[in-house]
Amino acid sequence: MYAEQVHDYLKVFFKETNCDILSDEGYMLSVQLTTDMDKRIMNRPFYWQYIEATNSTPNPARLNLITDRAKIQNQFMGEIIHFGSGRLHQIFKATKELGSFVKMYQHSNGNKGKQQMLTPYFCVNYKVSYYCDQTKEVIYSLGINLINGEIEDNFHDFVSQLDLKTAIPDDHFCLQYIIKPGRALERLDSMIQNIIQNDDHSWAEEAKKRWQKELEVLDFFYDGMEDKPESYEIEKKGLKDRFNPRIKVEIINGGLFYLH
Amino acid sequence: MIIERSSNWREDFIQRFEQDGPWDSWTLYNKSYEIEKMNLIPEFSGLQAPKFLTNIQLLPHQVEAAQTVIEKMNGKAILADEVGLGKTIEAGLIMKEYMIRGIVKKVLILVPASLQNQWVTELNMRFFIPAVAYRKNTPIEHYDVVVMSMDTAKKSPHREKIYEQDYDMIIIDEAHKLKNHKTQIYEFVQSLKKKFCLLLTATPIQNDIFEIFYLVSLLKPGHLGNYESFQATFSTTKTSADGEKYLKELVNQVMVRNRRQDTGIEWTSRKVETIPIQYTPEEREVYDMISSLKTVSPVFSSSFTMVTLLKEMCSSKEATFLTLNKMIQKGMAKEERDFVEEILAKLMKLEINSKAEKVMEIIENANDKVIIFTEYRATQAYLQWYLYTKGISSVLFNGKFSKSKRDWVKQLFRQRDQVLIATESGGEGINLQFCHHVINYDLPWNPMKLEQRIGRVHRLGQEEDVHIYNLAIENTIEQKILDLLGSKIDVFEKVVGDLDDILTRKA
Repeated sequence: MYAEQVHDYLKVFFKETNCDILSDEGYMLSVQLTTDMDKRIMNRPFYWQYIEATNSTPNPARLNLITDRAKIQNQFMGEIIHFGSGRLHQIFKATKELGSFVKMYQHSNGNKGKQQMLTPYFCVNYKVSYYCDQTKEVIYSLGINLINGEIEDNFHDFVSQLDLKTAIPDDHFCLQYIIKPGRALERLDSMIQNIIQNDDHSWAEEAKKRWQKELEVLDFFYDGMEDKPESYEIEKKGLKDRFNPRIKVEIINGGLFYLH
Repeated sequence: MIIERSSNWREDFIQRFEQDGPWDSWTLYNKSYEIEKMNLIPEFSGLQAPKFLTNIQLLPHQVEAAQTVIEKMNGKAILADEVGLGKTIEAGLIMKEYMIRGIVKKVLILVPASLQNQWVTELNMRFFIPAVAYRKNTPIEHYDVVVMSMDTAKKSPHREKIYEQDYDMIIIDEAHKLKNHKTQIYEFVQSLKKKFCLLLTATPIQNDIFEIFYLVSLLKPGHLGNYESFQATFSTTKTSADGEKYLKELVNQVMVRNRRQDTGIEWTSRKVETIPIQYTPEEREVYDMISSLKTVSPVFSSSFTMVTLLKEMCSSKEATFLTLNKMIQKGMAKEERDFVEEILAKLMKLEINSKAEKVMEIIENANDKVIIFTEYRATQAYLQWYLYTKGISSVLFNGKFSKSKRDWVKQLFRQRDQVLIATESGGEGINLQFCHHVINYDLPWNPMKLEQRIGRVHRLGQEEDVHIYNLAIENTIEQKILDLLGSKIDVFEKVVGDLDDILTRKA
């Protein structure tokens, strides 16, 4: 993320979360946070505990965020924010929390006055992580048609191109789902399970081989000892923690979509 | 294989579905997806960290080192770059990569006390890793990344507190301090769980090959066999060329070592000169008398005492006087005492210090900033006085100085004084690239100490050739030290790899 991208991102984020942008120089952004946003990104739980316990007037922070430090003379004018900085990381986290669940309707220009049907879909964006002493992550965006149960990958890339709004357009009606969203979620979950099971897991085999090899080296060091010292068990545990292959499935976000 | 599912998203979704809301912003939903995509780790191999590190100019050899450690050495390695190539940066990069990949969360960094703050600053400012310096009573359970001095860590109650934590990664700077397996710090580190582990040292061997054995055994027990098999195969008494080659290969499986010349950076060169010095007849007489002491009194029978005295005599009469005077208090027979007092009298009458005069000559010829390293505080004080009488201003430095005093001394040396006189322990943690002349006034037994000294000056950022002057008085113990240094460098190069010039190369 370059300085300009960070700047644009912040503008969108604060606008979307109702924080007033007091000034915008293109390389510096002055923002009045709301109470909710202060709690999310400022890391000061004790302050808020105190305000709430004493019923005092809250005074959420005003941030001067410098997105391009090359353009400023005085670095004390504000907080330098960039890709990799803690503050931006917190804003990413807040974005995730505030962008988890949606319900959207597709709008279209043509066919005014004619009644149209919208089909319900349910989408979950999954992140699958493979861990051993190395990591790999894959995103799956699965969408399921709640009428016929068809499942498609790359669903998000598809819907993000559409004109979607939170309210149902005039003259439209939604088909009633046949598959309940709760049931759909189970289907998607088992789909993910399937995808994972059919994936190439040579990485896990390789990790186990590395583990085995290092275990042999370790055993050689303590070879012939009747009572192995504690450090042997500690090392062994260390090897397990390092190499034991694991798979983690996280949900990024998801929601209901009514589409043409 | 077990699949872990995290997050309460499922329950939360069902709830919102049943209550028809609240629903989130479509814009943020999209942004959230984009961020995940941008931060995704698409491959097991390759480094993700560099794109996050906007505050640092990574050099190709540093990135390559990090990649080798992660992909080929599975996260356990000795980082043994020559001094000044950025071992700290490599360690930071590896740590950051593992943190981004979600494999490492809690990290313990053990360093000499003098480097503690430097580490904390570097990690916070350049790597955006929220590291804290451990002081007494720091609640370490609340912090993920803790930088602690080795001396503190090995003692109660700190060591117990550390054992209670479950660290994912252990990093040890100046790891040659762990070369002796009988020390408290070695045992302490041995009993730590080392899931991922980095040992940083420019000098994995200082004296003999057992040091590398103990270091590697800490990192990866068994990699060099156990003690018996190692001794049988590689013990110095029967070193064979093949054995050394094999050992070097094994060591290289767990060690990354960049040399200045393979970094692709234009390095200024080192001009190393050994400067022989002749004693005056008066100095020679006192030296010979001290030499004969071991046959005069049992007080001087220990070879350690004799070596100390002779080395001091090669340094300054002030240093010699302090030790001899202490010895005389220990009580000895009258005629022995008389002899020592005769030495003391002659010593005090010496008016010329040939070595100091040579130093003066070098400083005049250099006509530039000069660092002098000596092993003795008395010599340090004497040299300052001597240079002062010749109209040359100097500032003193030693390793016990606090961070702020170090910075102050550096400032004085940069702006005011022509000469910095440092004792041995001043070798670590002060960087002086603006200086180009190093005088090794006394020679240490250990070549790596010389390397550490030179490394203060000959490191990244040095723009001129660096001149190194190794002073040795002819026909004294210093000549022996020179020979020994030469053979130790030889062992190091056979097992670890070539070294940049420390001593004048043998023709």
